Amino acid sequence: METFELLLHGFSVALQPTNLMWALVGSVLGTAIGILPGIGPALTIALLLPVTTALAPTSAFIMFAGILYGAMYGGSTTSILLNTPGEAGSMMTALEGNKMARAGRGAAALATAAIGSFVAGTIATLALTFAAPAVAELAFYFKPTDYFAITALAFCSVAVVMGTSRTRGFVSLFLGIAIGVIGIDTMTGQPRLTFGNMQLLRGIALTVVLVSLFAVGEILYVASRYRSTPGVMAPIKGQLWMTKQDWARSWKPWLRGTAIGFPMGALPGSGSEIPTMLSYTLERKLTKHPEEFGKGAIEGVAGPEAANNAAAAGILVPLLTLGLPTSATAAVLLAAFQNYGLQPGPFLFTSNPALIWGLIASLYVGNVMLLVLNLPLVGIWVQLLRIPRPQLYAGILVFAMIGVWGLAGSWMDLTIMLVVGLGGYVMRVYDFPIAPVLIGLILGPMAETQLRTALAAGQGNPLVLVSTPLSAVLITLAVLLLALPILLKRLRANA
Amino acid sequence: MKFSQTLAALAMTAALGTGAASAQVNVMLPANPGGGWDGTGRQAFQALNDAGIYTGGVNFTNTGGAGGTVGLAEFLGTSTGQPDALAVFGAITVGAIALNNSPINLAEFRPVARLTAEYLVVAVAADSPYNTLADLVAAIKADPGAHPVGGGSAGGVDNIAVALLAQAGDIPVADLNYIPQTSGAETVTAIVNGTLTAGVSGTSEFSQFAQQGRIKLLAVTSAERRPNLPDVPTFHEAGYDVEIANWRGILAAPGAPDDNYATWVDRFTQLSKSDAWKQVLETQGWEDYFLAGDEFGTFIAEETERQGQILKDAGLVN
Amino acid sequence: MSTDGNNTTEGGSPTAAPASPKPYWIGIGLMVLGAVWLYNAFGLPQGARYAAVGPGLFVTVAGAGLLVLGAVLVLQIWRGESFVAQDAEDADGATKMDKRAFVTALLAVALPIATMGPLGMPFTATLSFVLVANAFGSRRWWLDIIYGGILACASWFLFAQLGLQLGRFFPPLGV
Repeated sequence: METFELLLHGFSVALQPTNLMWALVGSVLGTAIGILPGIGPALTIALLLPVTTALAPTSAFIMFAGILYGAMYGGSTTSILLNTPGEAGSMMTALEGNKMARAGRGAAALATAAIGSFVAGTIATLALTFAAPAVAELAFYFKPTDYFAITALAFCSVAVVMGTSRTRGFVSLFLGIAIGVIGIDTMTGQPRLTFGNMQLLRGIALTVVLVSLFAVGEILYVASRYRSTPGVMAPIKGQLWMTKQDWARSWKPWLRGTAIGFPMGALPGSGSEIPTMLSYTLERKLTKHPEEFGKGAIEGVAGPEAANNAAAAGILVPLLTLGLPTSATAAVLLAAFQNYGLQPGPFLFTSNPALIWGLIASLYVGNVMLLVLNLPLVGIWVQLLRIPRPQLYAGILVFAMIGVWGLAGSWMDLTIMLVVGLGGYVMRVYDFPIAPVLIGLILGPMAETQLRTALAAGQGNPLVLVSTPLSAVLITLAVLLLALPILLKRLRANA
Repeated sequence: MKFSQTLAALAMTAALGTGAASAQVNVMLPANPGGGWDGTGRQAFQALNDAGIYTGGVNFTNTGGAGGTVGLAEFLGTSTGQPDALAVFGAITVGAIALNNSPINLAEFRPVARLTAEYLVVAVAADSPYNTLADLVAAIKADPGAHPVGGGSAGGVDNIAVALLAQAGDIPVADLNYIPQTSGAETVTAIVNGTLTAGVSGTSEFSQFAQQGRIKLLAVTSAERRPNLPDVPTFHEAGYDVEIANWRGILAAPGAPDDNYATWVDRFTQLSKSDAWKQVLETQGWEDYFLAGDEFGTFIAEETERQGQILKDAGLVN
Repeated sequence: MSTDGNNTTEGGSPTAAPASPKPYWIGIGLMVLGAVWLYNAFGLPQGARYAAVGPGLFVTVAGAGLLVLGAVLVLQIWRGESFVAQDAEDADGATKMDKRAFVTALLAVALPIATMGPLGMPFTATLSFVLVANAFGSRRWWLDIIYGGILACASWFLFAQLGLQLGRFFPPLGV
């Protein structure tokens, strides 16, 4: 009941006119960047980070939440109409959604995506509302060794799952870890890999790496292999609303997608690709119309879209309650909290209830706003795709530049942008996954601090790393994840 | 044609805006936006403005990193000899310079004013068997490795406070198991989940958690008990001759002309007596710790000496 | 997150040839990088009083990891591992690299290092805008100057209002 009161208080914060305006700004911005190529929610929030000096924290986070949710809505639009997912999480939507659009059922596909996103977003926000305070108490039981085990498992899973081969996944991961150790060691104050350069003492900012890998790397890559004939846009045809049968076939996938997406989003390193993929596979297995899959099955849009949005809410649980970022977007949000001198974690709920509950309440508000913005207005949104590509990519570079330069006005950051951007280009050309770099960079320093804290508190005894039940389970899982494929191969060879 | 007209108009506005800006004071805030130094600088200039002491323009630069040494190094490069260039810094900078082998020498800058301070408290878990500072020190003395103590960054004021306490309690500083934490809230979490035996942080940071009943406050590093924490004894009362504060102050650029320097010392002296500043101190929960000009210079030299020595004893600096 | 999807579109034609038959240099580059990190790690304390591990540990791990992975990659390349360029929105991994476009775009990214400080953000951003647009095949450079100039100036004012430190408008004129 106390949660309910706090939530009501949150609504009184979120419904203030200024905050409503920021929610609208965030939703519009989020939808736009979801539709546009080359720029996603993590990047957008990273670019807006320096703005936090001028904005009250509540307003800023309400806007960021709008961007986060909005990008999920916008991403599905391009997947369906253009077969070009603006976000990694919308890849699965493109499979069936675009087929539906080509078969003249684009409106139904857009509707099931938007309503599914709304349903999933709302249910997941409800789950967040009631789970978060309880999860926050866990912070007092989790020890450094547990956190280390979580990060170790995230490393192994992300490197194994993402990318074409495990070697390439690990190369990306270790590049991220290697970038993460640059700068002053927080535990001893020792400068590491600074090569005597003062500017490197503070380390390489996540924003710079994000901007360079995603925006700059993408611009260089697309420029070098530009396909100037853009994809054909399927016209929005068909009834604007879903038929009775569409509803009947959609509501279960929505719920199943939510059930998959929310917990998966809360796990480090799973991102939005894995839950959407799982949801798609599940719907394909459960459907009564298997013949339609691959030709435009509505379940294949409804499930992954719901999973996608639920995962976006899921990442907020460990972030707000434990201060644990599980994706690039979450890491950028964490940086935003730290800009305000706020430390996400159990104490944020007690020390700053207006912020936390205002943010949570704004997620409900944002969802309603996005449904309204996206369902009837989708025709206006797709006009964004008419921006000529040369000017669009040029504009993205301008914003990338402002984001990097605005951080500290340092030419060193611009140099890093060039170097890491080139790296991002090479990774695209030779097909190395990008996401593990970020996971390594974000969780690497955390893994290190927790490992060293655990060992210091345990006076150097390595057994302390598996001393709690949770850490023992997670470390075992991580080892299995690494060893299992090799073992299976051996067994098969022997058989 | 329209475009070029608009551009010209834009350029004009920019010229006007920044033209006025050339008569500004440049202030280096060697931390990211949102932290204590950032707040000290911005609030002080807001109060200077409100009190009518200095109403001109202020141009802030945030350059965070490495306890302020990155920002001060940049300040040294860009502002040496400039008449109206100031930088915020504090106790943490002193330790960070020694720790990072930074080429910065605080004595080169011109000391304007020490403004605020925050005292530190030592805390243990609410269900901890230790009820006094003496209990805690005795336990650490018996087995320093098994009693990890946490606080802010290595070589920062929290670490130095623990080291001074150890010295006063006859514990070899190098034997301490000090584990740096990223924030006061993290320190509390680590105390509650049992990773740390005790923790150190600023009074404002810890007192809210003590009110929630998560931790017990054992002692405070001020000379006398704090009015907002009447039940917490000082280190002196507990039998340890330690006094330390996390202070913050203002420096002028090396080689700043005497006239400008004297003006700034005078302005901050007026500020310290103004109602506007007292209002800021109250709302922010900062302690008044004012000291100006050469006396502040002497204080910085003493702090450099004291912190350098304790860092050597702790084995953090050679 | 941006599109980093493999096999996102059907555009990636099955006839896609390996981008480069034997990119040994990537493996070797990784090994060199690993060696740099390892070399640095030797200058750092590996232990601490109680933790048994010190600031050098993760640097060592990162360096050793990159060294080993670089070697594994070289081995895999030697055994004939294929590398197929990723598909992206607006890009086709199977097309041949357009060197002129790439170099132009690269110039747009490198330019700010030299001009951002002395010539200011609006000027630099306009120039980079024109270069990128050119790399993507826009040939109406005078129009791009206008678009880029408006975008750069507008964002300079907007973000400066919001508190970003973007420097002066056009430093050579002192404004």
